[in-house]
Amino acid sequence: MAAPAFLNTLERSGLSTWIRESESAFAYYFVLVIHNIGLALLVGACGVLGARLLGFVPDLPLAPLRRYFRFVWAGFWLNVVSGVFLLIAYPTKALTNPVFYVKLVLIAVGVVVLRRIERQLPREAAPGEAAPAMRRSLALWMLGVWLGVLTAGRALAYTATYILYGKGT
Amino acid sequence: MNFDHLHLLLNHVPIIGFFVGVGLLLASFTGNNDDLRRSALIIFAAIALLTIPTFVSGVGADRAIAREPGISDALVRRHEGAAMLGLWFVLATGAAALMALWRSRRTGGPPRGNIAAVMLLAVVASILMGRTGNTGGDIRHPQPGAAAGTAITEGVVGSIIQPFEPSPDGFTNLMVVNKWWWATMMVMHFVGLSLIIGAVGAINLRIMGFAKELPFAPLHRLLPLAMAGLAINVVTGMLAFIGMPAYYAADIAFWFKLAALMLLGLNVAVFYLTGIFHRVERLAPGEDATLSAKIVAASSLLLWFTVIISGRYIQHFEDSLRF
Repeated sequence: MAAPAFLNTLERSGLSTWIRESESAFAYYFVLVIHNIGLALLVGACGVLGARLLGFVPDLPLAPLRRYFRFVWAGFWLNVVSGVFLLIAYPTKALTNPVFYVKLVLIAVGVVVLRRIERQLPREAAPGEAAPAMRRSLALWMLGVWLGVLTAGRALAYTATYILYGKGT
Repeated sequence: MNFDHLHLLLNHVPIIGFFVGVGLLLASFTGNNDDLRRSALIIFAAIALLTIPTFVSGVGADRAIAREPGISDALVRRHEGAAMLGLWFVLATGAAALMALWRSRRTGGPPRGNIAAVMLLAVVASILMGRTGNTGGDIRHPQPGAAAGTAITEGVVGSIIQPFEPSPDGFTNLMVVNKWWWATMMVMHFVGLSLIIGAVGAINLRIMGFAKELPFAPLHRLLPLAMAGLAINVVTGMLAFIGMPAYYAADIAFWFKLAALMLLGLNVAVFYLTGIFHRVERLAPGEDATLSAKIVAASSLLLWFTVIISGRYIQHFEDSLRF
């Protein structure tokens, strides 16, 4: 399969080359660090929300947990930006790998699930009232999908057909 | 960097620590002394943590010593095999001890079954640490008559344990022979990281004043998530290290990460053992934590992110150390 020529153009661009080849600690691995921190914020906050929604800590009030969505979306946008930089560094590697598209689809599903959970969380604490039973299935979807995103992201390192344009693994 | 000296500095800690721990735990049974039992559990958890740099520094020492004349390679390999077996029992004892401490926080005493498990694991771990120490000592001070090249003779204890000890090179190959096994370990390491940051982050942020409407007690009950994440990551991390020992040992970012983990051990000790936890434990919705608690919480978060960042930089700092 021939990869489209624009991948070659992108790979030869100054930014792509710099991220990939610079010896600086603030090039490729810095972008990876940001991507990792974003993951920790997003999946970490999902883990806490999931634990609550699945009933591990039933006496934890739900309304204040809305605040955790700050970390969810901060992590999400950190990873959109850092992900774009990683894509610029290795466009052929990502775009010729089916796993990358699986990851993108999973991210889309994950965002829909997260927005639905955010909408359903109560805005104000209802005194004396037990937390409304949110659908456990939604929490399971959230955890499953983001676990899938994480796994697909890791798998990108092991499933690539090309590393660079015209350079197979 | 002189790993030889670091290893010599650390290598008595697991052995003596576990002997003291077992002694305290045994003594706690006379008169059912809860303080003594708690001390033993804390010692097991702390020593398990310190065993990680002890184990890891051994690889550096191995490379340093291999250049010296008169060192028997077979004796070095035997010591490594003993350490690779003992390590898991030490870590399992530490995990069981942490679980016992967690389960005893309300009832006053941990469940009997849990204590029995700690006792059993600690005794096995102590024997294996003794064996590791002996085989390590034999490297520098071979038994009389055992010149380099002659077959190693085992004593009674050694001949019982020896069949269970892995071949160090075989264990290493097993970890790296299949890229999907490696990929699985890395995925699990990232899952563990998320569990830790989620639970530890939620607890620490509440102490620091974020989402103050949350009561502290139910948040703190998320801690087993972080403990599960820690267990996953210590196991996958040590397996990865065994897979590429020389790669990690020669990496400054790896040692930085380990140092941050050790400081986190200190951080946890300060939080739970100095009365700070006692004061935040009953924080009701809207209540503020003390300044000391906030400082401990902030340093915990800072250290965990240091662990993540330096872990991610390991590849960048490949071959940054000479030994």
